[in-house]
Amino acid sequence: MAHRIGRRKNVKKGFQFTLMVVGASGLGRTTFINTLCDADVVPKRESDEPDMAHVEEGIKIKPYTVELDEDGVKISLTVVDTPGFGDMIDNEYCFQEILGYLERQYDDILSEESRIKRNPRFRDNRVHALLYFITPTGHSLREIDIELMKRLSPRINVIPVIGKADTFTPFELAEFKKRVMEDIEHHNIPIYNFPFDPEEDDEETVEENSELRSLLPFAMIGCEEEIMVNGRKVRGRQYPWGIVEVDNTQHCDFAKLRFALLSSHLQDLKEITHDYLYENYRTEKLSRSAENLSD
Amino acid sequence: MAPAQTGAGIGIANLPNQRHKIVAKRGGNFTLMVCGESGLGKTTFINTLFTTTIKTPKSYKRRFNKSAEKTVEIEIIRAELEEKQFNIKLSVVDTPGFGDYTNNRDSWLPIIDFIDDQHESYMRQEHQPRRQDLSDMRVHCCLYFIRPTGHTLKPLDIEVMKRLGTRVNLIPVIAKADTMTPTDLHKFKKRILEVIAAQNIQCYTFPLESDDEASTKRNMSIMAAMPFSIIGSTDDVMTNDGRTVKGRQYSWGVAEVENEDHCDFKKLRQLLIRTHMLDLISSTEETHYEVYRHAQMETRKIGEPKVKTVTNPKWKEEEESLRKRFTEQVRLEENRFRSWEQQLIAERDRLNKDLEAEHSHIKALEAELEAMTAGLSSKRK
Repeated sequence: MAHRIGRRKNVKKGFQFTLMVVGASGLGRTTFINTLCDADVVPKRESDEPDMAHVEEGIKIKPYTVELDEDGVKISLTVVDTPGFGDMIDNEYCFQEILGYLERQYDDILSEESRIKRNPRFRDNRVHALLYFITPTGHSLREIDIELMKRLSPRINVIPVIGKADTFTPFELAEFKKRVMEDIEHHNIPIYNFPFDPEEDDEETVEENSELRSLLPFAMIGCEEEIMVNGRKVRGRQYPWGIVEVDNTQHCDFAKLRFALLSSHLQDLKEITHDYLYENYRTEKLSRSAENLSD
Repeated sequence: MAPAQTGAGIGIANLPNQRHKIVAKRGGNFTLMVCGESGLGKTTFINTLFTTTIKTPKSYKRRFNKSAEKTVEIEIIRAELEEKQFNIKLSVVDTPGFGDYTNNRDSWLPIIDFIDDQHESYMRQEHQPRRQDLSDMRVHCCLYFIRPTGHTLKPLDIEVMKRLGTRVNLIPVIAKADTMTPTDLHKFKKRILEVIAAQNIQCYTFPLESDDEASTKRNMSIMAAMPFSIIGSTDDVMTNDGRTVKGRQYSWGVAEVENEDHCDFKKLRQLLIRTHMLDLISSTEETHYEVYRHAQMETRKIGEPKVKTVTNPKWKEEEESLRKRFTEQVRLEENRFRSWEQQLIAERDRLNKDLEAEHSHIKALEAELEAMTAGLSSKRK
């Protein structure tokens, strides 16, 4: 378990992790955040005025911080919500807003690094992973999905998930996942796909990562309410024809994704952000300003 | 003059039967439009409604060969249905590409133009010397598929529905309703109705009062269910209690199409086919067509071709959007420079402060050193 070596030292201090959640409204983004943190982190959307429903509000970027305890490990989790994405008639502007936010966090680190005396309590606000909620159309990726993932993957680990996956029957879900991965490959979108090296890593890591890779994109169902099923209290959605359980791995991939994000792959996501994505940004930015100076 | 009753009956009451025979022989003609983003179950719904494959499901093999053009197309599928020797010519108009792109501005123009063009074409044909075989593709009913977000109508939905409602019988439908729990569905329906009322969107209504009480009650329950929640499926599945129904089989149960507790499919089918198809057709011909004709005749003489004014507003809009983009870019650049300047100033201040801190530290060390050397030299004396 190579990625857990640093854990023992940090267990007492705890980890810091920043996650951004992007997707059109009505895909269960807010519910997912609340289900992930097991608390009412993001307030429920206030019912909008009916006569203002035609007004297009732009995208907003809202970070929320919670303290979680995962098996005795403290995690300070910051979730960045992006309400308003994809809701307008013309959504070209959304991409620039999100990209701007991500790059501003990198800029802050860059300028902090250049100081003579660095602030030891400087807060690292870089976003380590982006969960992109795909609309469950049942066909394939839409133009806005492809555009977003393409534009943001050079700056952040993009993990595609399917929102409201209880729209699909098991067969439809498998077909949709297959087509989405085909689209991602066709358009050469570099998503975070739980990388492993079959020669270097041990068998357990290889197995763990290939399993997670085969589940991409993760099927998400979110629910904050608890209902009674056979005498147990579970988090689930009650339909007239049955009950969907959030924590049941047969029904959706929520539990597996949560474990990957907050336990097994937290360190890996942070390392890739720092060692690879941030370094690329730094190189690009510094060479750009060097070019500007030499002009 | 009060109507005089004929004695034993001379056969006037047989007129409806004669009419029935003529209509039965002629057959019917019905044009239905389905409008909404892709992936909302439009094709499946049509096939479920008419219990036959009117439209084949999308083929995915050619999706990578798509052209870069981001257009909304109008696709017409024609079918002839027969039931108990009564024929009906059905046309289904689909709108692939609507709402599917990043920028959907003006994506409703091809749809609106199509509806208006049908009225226009019928009007022109009426003015011809030979009016026998009119090809009538006027849209009798438009089903607008709403994405089951659970929140409210999107700005795009509102823009399109406003324009559709004044031209055609608009029936809003909540697609893929098996995504929502009954409480969520109820809240969603209520909110949609509030928005429709607040935004003045005209939806299809029909007279509720009828001769017999059963019909009146049925009409009222149909109207109360608007917007209709639907589930579409052409597959036969087995429920937990052994029945074979049309439905969707999930790991946690079977959602049935024809179960009124699961969705409003039956009510919608009742409305579209069994009870109000004729009303849809006649209200299109009488109300919507007349509105169009009236508006056109106010400005045009009989026989004059329609002036295409569509392109001009588009140009003006494009110009406007280009100008807006230009000023927006300039503003962004100015902001960027300003924030860059501020960053540089802030950094300069920070570095200066650090330098000062170092300076004072050095001074302190120097003072210490001096004190020590002073102390040493005084010791030596």
